[in-house]
Amino acid sequence: VAVLTFALRRLLYALPTLVVVTIMVFALVRVLPGDPALLMLGEEANPELVKALNRELGLDQPLVTQYLNWIGGAIRGDLGASLRNNESVSRLVAEKLPTTLELSLLAMLVALALAIPAGVFTAVRRGGAADGTVTVLALSGISLPNFFLGVLLIYFFSVQLGWIPPSGYVTPGENLGQNLLLMLMPAITLGTGTAGVLTRFLRGSMLEVLTQDFVRTARAKGAGPRAVVYRHALRNAVLPVLTIFGLQLSALLSGAVITEQIFSIPGFGRLLVEAVATRDFPVLQGVVLISSVSIFAVSFLVDLMYASVDPRIRYQ
Amino acid sequence: MKALVVAGIVVAFGALATLAQERTVTVGLDADPPNLDPALSSALVDRQVQNQIYDKLVDIDSNLKIIPMLALSWKVSELGTTYTFTLRQGVKFQDGTAFDANAVKYNLDRYINLETSRRKGELASIKDVRVLNANTVQLNLKFPFAPLLSVLADRAGMMVSPTAEKKFGKDFTNNPVGSGPFSFVERKRQDRITLERNGAYWDTKNVPNFEKLIYRPFPDGDVRAANLLSGAIQVMTPVDPKDLKVIEENARTELTSVPGLGFQGIRLNTTKAPFNNKALRQAFAATLDREAINRVVFLGSVTPATTPFPPGSPAYSKAFPVTPPNLELAKKKLAEGGKPNGFSFTLLIGTGGVGAQLAQLYQAFAKNAGIDMKIEQIEFGTLLARADKKDFDALALGWSGRPDPDGNIFDFFTTGAASNYSGYSNPRVDRLLQLARQTRDIIVRKDIYEDALTNILDDASYPITYFQKVNVGKLKTVDGLPLNPDGILRFKFVKFN
Repeated sequence: VAVLTFALRRLLYALPTLVVVTIMVFALVRVLPGDPALLMLGEEANPELVKALNRELGLDQPLVTQYLNWIGGAIRGDLGASLRNNESVSRLVAEKLPTTLELSLLAMLVALALAIPAGVFTAVRRGGAADGTVTVLALSGISLPNFFLGVLLIYFFSVQLGWIPPSGYVTPGENLGQNLLLMLMPAITLGTGTAGVLTRFLRGSMLEVLTQDFVRTARAKGAGPRAVVYRHALRNAVLPVLTIFGLQLSALLSGAVITEQIFSIPGFGRLLVEAVATRDFPVLQGVVLISSVSIFAVSFLVDLMYASVDPRIRYQ
Repeated sequence: MKALVVAGIVVAFGALATLAQERTVTVGLDADPPNLDPALSSALVDRQVQNQIYDKLVDIDSNLKIIPMLALSWKVSELGTTYTFTLRQGVKFQDGTAFDANAVKYNLDRYINLETSRRKGELASIKDVRVLNANTVQLNLKFPFAPLLSVLADRAGMMVSPTAEKKFGKDFTNNPVGSGPFSFVERKRQDRITLERNGAYWDTKNVPNFEKLIYRPFPDGDVRAANLLSGAIQVMTPVDPKDLKVIEENARTELTSVPGLGFQGIRLNTTKAPFNNKALRQAFAATLDREAINRVVFLGSVTPATTPFPPGSPAYSKAFPVTPPNLELAKKKLAEGGKPNGFSFTLLIGTGGVGAQLAQLYQAFAKNAGIDMKIEQIEFGTLLARADKKDFDALALGWSGRPDPDGNIFDFFTTGAASNYSGYSNPRVDRLLQLARQTRDIIVRKDIYEDALTNILDDASYPITYFQKVNVGKLKTVDGLPLNPDGILRFKFVKFN
């Protein structure tokens, strides 16, 4: 019950935040220099045509009217239509979002698979040569920009070895094997940065936990080193890492923008880049709104997990 | 051992993928074609796909000569104000609608009257379109307009199915129907546009031997090239200068190149200081080393230029050779312009491609004469907006080119024209360029253009530096792909082994 009240209270706080987010999204998009009609017409632009197009797209209406139209539609689940070719934004979002979620999820798996053993290992062997090596690797993971890592992977695995197609995408429904194969390099590209961050945090938090009394007690009671590390220490060390995990998920969403560009994955990130470059306002607003809502949803979930793990948080 | 198993699985999936790809040709483009409706299309990349879906009234060959397509023949009246087309019979659109004179009228009327039609300007000379009988159509012009046929060899001449256009309206762009060799299957934004062979295509002599044609966007040039080299795609265009050699030397791939129709240069804003001063424009223009640009930035893969007419153009003239930089002249002009110690200005450039490299060369050239050039790199949308407001000193922006000479000169150098971002105005040039577009005899036209160019080059509002080439990389197993200066790949002639 306490968790439920907590959840309801958090949701209530969220509503005004969301309204502010929609206004900011709408306003920021309009503040961008550049005229969508001018961009759409490109070499064909002339003053009359620009005017006619702005009228047809409704961009000549007062901003307040435009905002109310947009938000009214958004509440009903209609995010408008792409300025470029009249495609429904809701449909585009529904088509692209699962792709990016899949990519982020796989990247997270890659990150966890690398970070948990590495974090535990470096904490247990603190100060040794192995700790140093893994720490350097983790730092390289954080600092290696993913556009560079992506191109490196393509060069070795696709061009030199010819094992994996350099880029592309098929839906898991079409061909699951091919889907996973094509997602392998993007997931590694996107996941290594997060893996580095998680490793560092897990190491720190493990080190702290390992010096605490209950660990000594566990040892004194005769628990083996494995049980001490995994059953007692890791469980408690993971808590602060959860917060980072939540924050990293939004980092993954933004990282996906670059990764999708490199591997030509038709996801949310590429949609965003194209919408910015072409000032496709409805698409841009839709993408930013849905991203904000998903980041909000993730931090909400993390709060809930926290609240259920640590009772003190519920009463604050 | 585990690694071996993983490798085995990976290879097996790779093999499966290749099997599934048989009888499909995949083309890598640099952008996702935004709009497939010829009336609303303004991005050039659209034409790659449109030319497979739609036929045009006429086409151009590799020498820019107008050849029949849906129109078998045409007659032009003495004054050049009436064009009568005899149409091919028995042609059907992909939805079964018959192609006839009424369909031509429907299409041209739509291009001319639709409020947001991007074809309006190109067809502005047309007074009315008359159906004489089922396979004869007549265009009456308000004034003679020599470029008309070449305009009809492009998007303004593409015939869409009137039935489909009426049915889908605003959404026709996502459900395009034409009479071309391939019909539209589906598009997934930024992923692919899938076409399939039109089994009922009228040109039974030119039937491709593959069923599917897929277009995929790869904005990154390295990734585009990697896809071709690994065989994941069969054809790619454009090719970055640094990848030309790699594709040429790879055993599986080959490179084809042809001089394009477009040009690149620097627009100088003649409406404000410093470049409202003709002598200062001439001074900057005199510093340009066009050979160095070709050598350093393009590794010898472009053609240095001074005029907007590339070597393949009927208006190409040898009267304006590329000259080496002339620093003495530049210094003399600086003194004449009242700035003997040089001056300073900012060049606006877009992001991506070789723009920054090119700008740094321009900067070095200018510095040789004591001119201080700053570089400001901005995103393309902002660049266009500032160009439109004439909020710049100098702007690096070229032109993709058109087959008729008029399309490469009129809109840049006549007073108040849409793409005249320099704000250039010379009444004599205005008169000459108007005269040229009304003159049908190309020899006479060429003389008029030479006269106009002498003035344009002297005024130096838009120093032109080089002509691009159309570069296509493909697997050697793709045969018969013709390459025209317009850069459009015509897949109906292709055999894929």
